[in-house]
Formats: sequence, structure tokens, C-alpha cells
Amino acid sequence: MLVAGDSEVYGIALLTLKVAVVATIISCAVGLPLGYFLATRRFWGRRAALTVVNTALAFPTVVVGLLLYGLLSRRGPLGGLGWLYTWQAIVVGDVLLALPIAAALSAAAIQGVDARIRRTAQTLGAGAWRTAWTVSREARFALAAVITAAFGQVVAEVGAAMIVGGNIRGSTRTLTTAVALYTSQGDFGLALALGLILLIMALLVNIALQVLQGRGEGSAHA
Amino acid sequence: MLELRGIRHRYDGRLVLDLEQFTVPRGAALAVVGHNGAGKSTLLRLLALLETPTEGQVLFSDAVVPPRARASLRRRVTLVEQRPVLFRGTVRENLEYGLKLRGTARTAMNGIIGDVVERLGLAPLLNRRRHELSDGEVQRVAVARALAVRPDVLLLDEPVSSADRAAANALYQALAAERAARPLTVCIASHQLEEAYRWADSIRALAEGRLSPVTPENLFRVDLPAGDGTKHVRVGGIHIAVMTDRTGPAVLAVPPTDIFVSLQPLSASARNVFSGRVTGMSIERRGAGVHVRADMGGVELVAAVTAEAARDLALAPGKTVVFSFKATAVQVF
Repeated sequence: MLVAGDSEVYGIALLTLKVAVVATIISCAVGLPLGYFLATRRFWGRRAALTVVNTALAFPTVVVGLLLYGLLSRRGPLGGLGWLYTWQAIVVGDVLLALPIAAALSAAAIQGVDARIRRTAQTLGAGAWRTAWTVSREARFALAAVITAAFGQVVAEVGAAMIVGGNIRGSTRTLTTAVALYTSQGDFGLALALGLILLIMALLVNIALQVLQGRGEGSAHA
Repeated sequence: MLELRGIRHRYDGRLVLDLEQFTVPRGAALAVVGHNGAGKSTLLRLLALLETPTEGQVLFSDAVVPPRARASLRRRVTLVEQRPVLFRGTVRENLEYGLKLRGTARTAMNGIIGDVVERLGLAPLLNRRRHELSDGEVQRVAVARALAVRPDVLLLDEPVSSADRAAANALYQALAAERAARPLTVCIASHQLEEAYRWADSIRALAEGRLSPVTPENLFRVDLPAGDGTKHVRVGGIHIAVMTDRTGPAVLAVPPTDIFVSLQPLSASARNVFSGRVTGMSIERRGAGVHVRADMGGVELVAAVTAEAARDLALAPGKTVVFSFKATAVQVF
């Protein structure tokens, strides 16, 4: 099936990749700046905010799925969007789960950067954005690991995807929900094959990130 | 140029700086001296507009600096920290950092960098990365990086702490050349008094976060006992008599010019008479005379005498001398 390129499997893999990439981009686009903010700014309630973000790391995926289901269902406050049982709903669920990872781990990565780097950028005249860029560049390996972790979370997520996506064949069936389905139906061979695709996908994304890191290193030393 | 007013700065509730007023005049070459933990680095970070004081105001050109100073204002004051760090990339990229922020054209940038590189002897290091440099080289690159952006005020925190004598001289010569070429205000924090006396126009002493009312040679951290009148406070292996009503933690300051130097104990009113050996002598700038350092029971005291007196007493390292000063000469802050 893997070698022959079954069209249904192909479609499931593509949807999984699309959902994972979009959710990773959104969660990192919001989470990384949020992490930087939490790591560098001193404000009232900062400690509480960090606690909330760290607690959210352990949020059960099915609970997120349930809450999101309530929001997106026809009578829910976001029912008008018509997103329930669509790939967008799965993306929203994945973003909610990956966002705390991106924020908490990037905050830890930025806190690990020597405070003198930030002060030096500022004293040489860098504004807020340039300072953030300079500090983030120092933490680039840790931040790349954050992106990898966020991708790992969304690509492997099954609970919320099942609840708000519905596991609809040809529409919202992802690799993880398909594996769950075929396992429950006793088709272990197919489930195993889909699991293998998932692993290969995660491996390829990790390799791509490592190649990008390597290029960054090369240009910095050029 | 830069002024601190009514500053009380705290870290986690602990008071680290307590200054009624501290001024860095335009064009000055100012040295701030004090022991480790005296508050020098904190003072420089406030002056560099990198921190907002817990209480009080920072003024730049007579205008109050808002709590979060804008980058345009910060670009006029540049700080080189005690243990500076370089960014990722080569030394050249580090030197270009601040210039790129200012939109300096490539040709002008090359000219400025060539200039600072020559002054500080950095040419062989230009293509090296930070992990390929010694601490002293990093310090020189950091100073060059700060000089390259041509600030109005340059703040240097222990700039020669990792440098050998040649590198230290190169640094001071580069600063002198820069000050000769344009009106640059320099403020250096140092614990090396001799360095400070050699190049600074003005010296301020900092102890326990407060400015000393006298020159910084003989400053002692003490715990004053309760009671009025004359108190005898233990400092190392000696007891210093002081007239004060204050109690608790304080700093004693003995002005070097208030210390009499003799070869035998004097029959006089001085309550503080200590005998010891001369450990060193140095001729100071600006008419301060000769500084005579002597070990008095494990405590180094510095007395200022004229060159003529030093000659008459045949003062030299190893010679036994007596230092005398009145209890009322000891200042408490």
C-alpha cells in the first residue's frame, strides 16, 4: 500500500501535513513572541502568566477537544464559523495545544541567553525589534527545538482532532485518527503502515529543520 | 550632560544605590572607584539608560529621561560592561552592528572601522569569532565596537580588568585620541585607584551604594556600636577612633591629606596612631603629592604628603612609619 501509493492514504498524509504545518506556523508565530515577552519583560502578574502557560503544557488533548467542540458547535459562540468537522477546526485545536509549548519553551530558551547580550544590543542603539532578533539569534538552536516540539505535538495529536474533526473519510481523517480507527477495527497492518508514514514525516521535518539550522550557522560565520 | 537625582535603586527590595545627586559633566573624564559590590556597575547601567531607577530621575542634557528610554536617546550613551560579550559572528560583524543600526553607508562604515581597528590594534582579529578570542581581546573589541558608534558619552566598566599593560595603554591612548578629536564624555568605573588618578579629570568614590564625601583611598565598611561620642571601631587588625552619633552599618572615610606621617609616634591630640611598614609610594596627578601606602596591622592606609616631606623622611618601601590622624578627621557616611 505504501509503495503503490494508495490515493486515500496519500490524501490522509497530505491533510495531516497541511494541518500540522499550518498549526505549527500559527502557534509559533504567536508563541515565540509571547515567550520572548514573558522572558524579558517585568510586569505585574508575570509569574502567574508563566504558571498558566506551564500548566497549559499538560492540558489533556481530549479536554481541549471538548471545549473547542462546545465553542464550534452550532449553538456555540463560534458556531457561525461553520468550522466543526473541518480541517480548520483541527488546526484550531492543534494551535491551542501547541501554543503553550511554543510560549513556555521559548521563554525558557530566551531566559537562557546571557542578559548582557540584550543590554549590549540596547546600548549599541538597537530598538525593541532588533534587540529581540539579536537575542533570538543567540538562542537559535533552542528555538529550533521549540518549533520541532510544537510540530511534534500537532502531528501526533489525536484526541482533539477526533472530537472536532470527526475523522470523516476524505475530509478530516488524519494519520493519527486513521490509526486509531483502523486499530479499533482490528486492521493492525494498515494502522501500522499509517504509523510508519507518520514517523517518516516527522523524521523528514526534523531533517529539514536541521538543514536550515546548519545554513543559519554557515551564513553567520561567513 | 548626564545627571542622577534622588536615586534609590533596589534589586529585589535590597537598596543597591542611594545617591542624592551624581553628575557627569559634558566633556569630562570621570572615574568612579570603589570596591566590588560598591554599586559601580549599577550606576553605569542607570547612566546608560538601560535600567530605570526604582526612585529618582535620570536627566540627559537637563531633560528627564522617560522610564523606557527610546533607542534614539540610548544611541547617545554607550556602555561597555565589565565582562563584555560579543554577538555571534566575526569581530568585523560586531564592529558593524551599531553602525548598521544607524544606517551608516558601507564606505563610511569601512572608514570608521578601519580607524578604531588601527587605534586598538585589532587588525589581526577582524575575521575571528568570539570563541577564538581571549578575555582581553574581547574587551578590546567591545571598546572598539562602542567607539565605532561615536556616542556622546562612553561608559566603561573596568575596561582594563583583563588587559595586559600594553593593551591598557593602547586603550587609554585610543580614548585620549578620541577625546582630542571630538567632545567625548567618558566615565570609567574602576577599582584600580592608580589607573583612575593617571587619566581622570575627576574621581568619585562609591561605597555601599553611596558617594564618599572624600577621596576613595581609605574607605572601610564597619558596624558602628550604639552610643555617643568617640567610638573605637575594629577595622582589620586595628581600632579606628571616630566621633559619631551614628550606629549600625556605615562606611568610614579617612582623607589621605588628614594623615600625618612621622618616623616616631607624635605626642599630639590625634586619637589614631598606627605604626607599620611602607608598602608602596606613587606620585599622583593634579598636585595630590606623593601617596604613601603602609600596612597597619593588615589594613592598608594611604597618606598624602608633599614630595619634599617624602624626601626629608627618606620614605621608601619597607621603612617603618607612623600614621596619625584625629578622630574628628574620620568621616562617616
